[in-house]
Amino acid sequence: MLYIKNLMVFYENALALNNVTFTCREGEITGVFGSNGAGKSTLMFTISGIILDIKKTEIMMGGERITILGEIQFGGKDIINIKPSERTRRGIVLCPERRRIFPESSTLENLKIGGYLATRQEAKKTLEYVFSLFPALKDLKKREGGFLSGGEQQMLAIGRALMAQPKLLLLDEPLMGLSPAIQSKLIQAVKEINEKTGITILIAEQYAQPIFPIIHYGYVMEKGTIVMAGTAKELTDNPHVKAAYLGA
Amino acid sequence: MNIFIFGLVNSVILALIASGFALVYGVSRLANFAHGALYILVGFATWLFLNRLGINYIGSIFLSIVIVSIIGGAIYRFFLIRVKGMPASEIIASLSIGIAIMELFRWRGFIGEAYMLPPFVTGSVSIAGVMIDWQRLIIIGIGLAMMLSLWLFTHHTKVGLSLRAIAQDKRASMMSGIDPDRTAVIGLAMGSALAGVAAVVILPLGSITVETGYMVLTDAIAVCIIGGLGSWMGVLAGAFLLGFSQILATAFIGPHWQMVVVLLFIILTLILKPSGLLGRQKELEERV
Repeated sequence: MLYIKNLMVFYENALALNNVTFTCREGEITGVFGSNGAGKSTLMFTISGIILDIKKTEIMMGGERITILGEIQFGGKDIINIKPSERTRRGIVLCPERRRIFPESSTLENLKIGGYLATRQEAKKTLEYVFSLFPALKDLKKREGGFLSGGEQQMLAIGRALMAQPKLLLLDEPLMGLSPAIQSKLIQAVKEINEKTGITILIAEQYAQPIFPIIHYGYVMEKGTIVMAGTAKELTDNPHVKAAYLGA
Repeated sequence: MNIFIFGLVNSVILALIASGFALVYGVSRLANFAHGALYILVGFATWLFLNRLGINYIGSIFLSIVIVSIIGGAIYRFFLIRVKGMPASEIIASLSIGIAIMELFRWRGFIGEAYMLPPFVTGSVSIAGVMIDWQRLIIIGIGLAMMLSLWLFTHHTKVGLSLRAIAQDKRASMMSGIDPDRTAVIGLAMGSALAGVAAVVILPLGSITVETGYMVLTDAIAVCIIGGLGSWMGVLAGAFLLGFSQILATAFIGPHWQMVVVLLFIILTLILKPSGLLGRQKELEERV
């Protein structure tokens, strides 16, 4: 489904992603783990294409020069130069770090905006599915996004991403700043999305432990490089992973 | 009663003038200083179609609004897109384009009081003892209808929702598949069309002059600063505050105080509450 080969991203001369090669298999949940600054968000921005907009802004403002090298294949086609809105149309949808809900639009409007590309029927069907997945959102339909709690915003962010009819759903740190109870609720929801709809999911997290049970395959990133790859079990058993990410 | 009715008319006029400016700013965070130029462009274009080409009144109006929205979209697509994200350059670029358009008319000899659009309906009525002409009542009607339809448009249509999404978080909208550049072109085209609608309903009250363009721009900026950029309710609040103050100043101090009131309000707002009455834009004082 998604195949990344020798991907390198430079901010000026600093290497944010160094020769990253990996695969997301269709219908699976793939995890990318790493601490702050490991390059997870850069990776997510590069896959979703947002990096192109960041690059454009930087050029215009006379800021950092961003260089992107390598190959990103999605559905057998190289998409590295395709603009973000077109990537969304093709099915790559990012649910960004810190949620980025539209704060002045209501919950329902946020979801409708998410369904910008969907047909009326798709939108209606997905909306029902999102409300069945997160019943809490249904009661908050009219509330402005900025007045939702962190957990509600995260549910809304995932719901909004689902509205865009993703084939590949990118989740960037979905557990950030949430209580353990809400974390496990969200993880169950992610698992259910994958099992019920068959959407391929790529999830980036710092906290590996709660995610391990639902992933099919995982990668560990450090300083922009992938240092380890394996199934959840292989990663859990690895002494380095145990020490660095599982607190054992 | 006099003050109330004319204050109301004046407020709606200001709201009409400012709505296009506010829409463009709301969508693309772009202060379109060519707003006044687009306004008189519609006035002169309608006049030309009507008097030189002999097209009927409704046709002329329709045609010039279509043309101005294409011009507005083109201004964004070919000029402003290049300086997007740099507020100072945006203002300089759009103001230059605006001045170029306005002075072009002056150069081609569009000077004086000769350029007038006929009112839609002539005559006047008496309401509670105040004589008021039909054109002013039509302005109130169209103004209120436009506010209502704009609200419906931005809250209940896909394009409208995407315009608001872009205004709030450009990158998050891209993630939903919205193309920000295309949406901004639509936004500017619509903002220009709104300036056009304002022009064709308001201009029959007086004559079309190049100076009108500058005044309209000042009024639009004043309303948006007072009410708060990026807020619809703010535009209404700003328009009514300014509209009634102007009429009160005219009635009790003197007509030449109209412009002073506008500028005074801008300065007071910037000193006391730079984000405006209902604005949420913290960086406003840097932008305008």
